[in-house]
Amino acid sequence: MSRQDVAADRVLSFTLKFGAYTALALIVTGLVLQFVAPWGAKVASAGLLVLLATPALRIIAACGQFLHERDFKYALVSFGVLAIVLLAYFLGIQA
Amino acid sequence: MTLAVLLLLIVTGFCAGGFGALAGVGGGIIVTPMLAIYFGLPMHQAIGVTLLCVIATSTATSALYVERHVTDVRLGMTLELATTVGALIAALVAHSINRRTLAVLFACFLLYSSGSMMKKAWTSRNAKREETIPDYTPQNYPVGLAASFIAGGFSGLLGIGGGPIKVPVMFLFMKVPLRAAAATSNFMIGVTAATSAYVYWGRGNVRIDIAAPLVAGVFAGSLLGARISSKVRAFYILILVIGVTGWFAVQMIYKLLTGGFQ
Repeated sequence: MSRQDVAADRVLSFTLKFGAYTALALIVTGLVLQFVAPWGAKVASAGLLVLLATPALRIIAACGQFLHERDFKYALVSFGVLAIVLLAYFLGIQA
Repeated sequence: MTLAVLLLLIVTGFCAGGFGALAGVGGGIIVTPMLAIYFGLPMHQAIGVTLLCVIATSTATSALYVERHVTDVRLGMTLELATTVGALIAALVAHSINRRTLAVLFACFLLYSSGSMMKKAWTSRNAKREETIPDYTPQNYPVGLAASFIAGGFSGLLGIGGGPIKVPVMFLFMKVPLRAAAATSNFMIGVTAATSAYVYWGRGNVRIDIAAPLVAGVFAGSLLGARISSKVRAFYILILVIGVTGWFAVQMIYKLLTGGFQ
């Protein structure tokens, strides 16, 4: 494991944690609030949207990290995965 | 929704996430049958909600495994090229498959998973944990990519992560150490599930009122499970999960034979 990989793992793991805790906080807040305010459910669904966005975010983080390391082969691979995920997103909206 | 149902969903999610992270299986094999059998959700909706739980498990556990350098991000990213294509195609097709067929496929998958977990329990009963991961270079990418495509397809169709397909292939054919294979599969299932979740969400098959409490439980359960996984012996948890999975399989088959899942 090179030192670069260690740094890359730190960036990626931060992205994952940030997404996980933000989504969890929004969902829990929303679940509690929905008993006192009608818009509480909206906060919970915002949390689910954050959750849905985290996989795309982790690909972008990995892609950025590969570019930073000048590992263009894997930057291209990540970009390809991102393209398929975004295609699914746009097909999903239209479905 | 009553408070009791809400709490029940949170607890279900917590158990699925916790046991999933400890036994190294996605929560999907627990959540989908629970929703379809006991909460009476149509299969497509049960699967749509489960996909969100799979993303939650993957995000929570990967945060830890990536930090501990167990996850092979390059390998995962490469195989995701195939899982996402499989997941996208399957999610688009799933819409036109009827509920009973989906339930039959799911019951088969439950039986396969119990079998594969039994094998894992048998081989791991006396094995010592791999403390450090030996150096390796993944081999045989064509086989890995083909298996990933199929795993992605099952994920889009049934809402499960596809770990029981990918992990053995990575271990046996690609010569990746078991712990690295499991962590890498965990990393991948989030991206795979998201691909099909977008399609299910767009078609209105993600019930937000059910998904929100479940996902909250799954997050808490898998964060805790991943954290204590190195201190707990997986053997007994595996036996428990095999029992639960087997029970769900029997229940689903019974419900199918008595004309359920219409």
